[in-house]
Amino acid sequence: MGMREPSIVENILITTKVEKVLNWSRATSVWPLSFGLACCAIEMMAAGAARFDFDRFGSGIFRASPRQADLMIVAGTVSYKMAPVIKQLYDQMPEPKWVMALGSCATCGGPFDSYHAVQGVDKIIPVDVYVPGCPPRPEALIYGFMKLQDKIMNSSLADRYREVFEPVE
Amino acid sequence: MSNEKPVQPEVDQEIDLALEKALGAPQAPPAPYVYDYKTSPNRQVVMPKTVPLSGLNAYLAEKAALEAAEEAKWQKAQADYAAAKAKAEAEGAPEPKAPVRVQPKKEPDLTVPVPSEAKDPDLLRLMALLGDGVEEAFEQSGELTCQVARERLLETLKLCREDAALKYEMLADETATHFPAAKDFAFSVVYHLTSISRSKRLRLRILIPEGFEPQSAVQVYAGANWLEREIFDMFGIRFQNHPDMTRILCPEDWEAHPLRKEYPVVGWGQRDVDFREDRSGMLNRIALEKAGQLGINLKRPKAE
Ligand code: SF4
Repeated sequence: MGMREPSIVENILITTKVEKVLNWSRATSVWPLSFGLACCAIEMMAAGAARFDFDRFGSGIFRASPRQADLMIVAGTVSYKMAPVIKQLYDQMPEPKWVMALGSCATCGGPFDSYHAVQGVDKIIPVDVYVPGCPPRPEALIYGFMKLQDKIMNSSLADRYREVFEPVE
Repeated sequence: MSNEKPVQPEVDQEIDLALEKALGAPQAPPAPYVYDYKTSPNRQVVMPKTVPLSGLNAYLAEKAALEAAEEAKWQKAQADYAAAKAKAEAEGAPEPKAPVRVQPKKEPDLTVPVPSEAKDPDLLRLMALLGDGVEEAFEQSGELTCQVARERLLETLKLCREDAALKYEMLADETATHFPAAKDFAFSVVYHLTSISRSKRLRLRILIPEGFEPQSAVQVYAGANWLEREIFDMFGIRFQNHPDMTRILCPEDWEAHPLRKEYPVVGWGQRDVDFREDRSGMLNRIALEKAGQLGINLKRPKAE
């Protein structure tokens, strides 16, 4: 009762799921939207530059248009005046799309428990990864990004479909 | 607010109806749109009672009051001593100790610069040109400050810019303060002038009560445009003859003016933003409009 010998066809083919291929291709080329709101954006720029080199993950191509972007990195303080704009940018991004809240301002309002700041960008748009810190170092951003890659690799099309198309209570 | 709402065009109503039909929500989101800041006690504002508006006159008055208090204390000590002495003599007891006047220390306190009389030629020239238009002029740690009558502000600015001996070509900054305890001069508007050719700086200020509309400085310094819009946004001071007296930092439908002392840090103007079921923010806008909160700050407050 040994293992079955692979057939000739199986020797030259790799079998996998379509979903996996899609996830892999998505996770290894996540294009972020170049979009910074406050001090945290400086860290995001550092992460994109030579020293930390975001390009290693296939995601260094910061797009200038939301229509070409997959990932929105909300880097900075979200003010009430900016909130509708962010919402609109998010709506203009094509599915599948992900959002990362970078820094304590974007996760929960941060030091600005104040009249002008939205207490966390998750009040406006759904967030996939939260990166704490004021500001988080570029390593933290990269770690958060790797977590997002894990999430993308483990996501299934059915879940995504449900998330997008089912009505919200 | 509700009874003077303009009649909406029919197209708007149609959109409204279509939205209601599509979303099945006759009443737009039930969430409260403005936080009730009064329900949370730690959000309440404590109004300051003091009037910390510095100046030469205030400094001199404070000094005189301190000296008077010191003198009164000394007089009382002497009177007490005389009484005690008379009593001791009558009873044959030993004489009480005579009070000693405490001399103030000779060394001046160098840490706090105090305002002093105006000696700078610029201030003297302004005083000569404006006469009693200058309410107060003093120097403090090398900074020149001139407080002018609020009606003569424009004239002063023109002088500062055009007079051959002054030549302040640039308005570096314009800002305001709010000290509500000082009723008739609750606000001050401060102009920081810079003379590039003469490397000098001058601070002009006017004191105004609530509701007073000072003249806009835009006619003299074009750069005052946005600065005055910011002052209006933050303090609610309106400027006469300003080309575009609208908000500049806060959203247009913002409530009240955030840098006033009576404004709570959290509360007014904040609202729940949850666009998740309202993908373009349309319902939010409609709800705001229905609540009469859309664009309330674009209207002029009515005179009492
Ligand atoms: S979290 Fe800190 S560093 Fe980041 S935007 Fe806010 S205040 Fe700036």
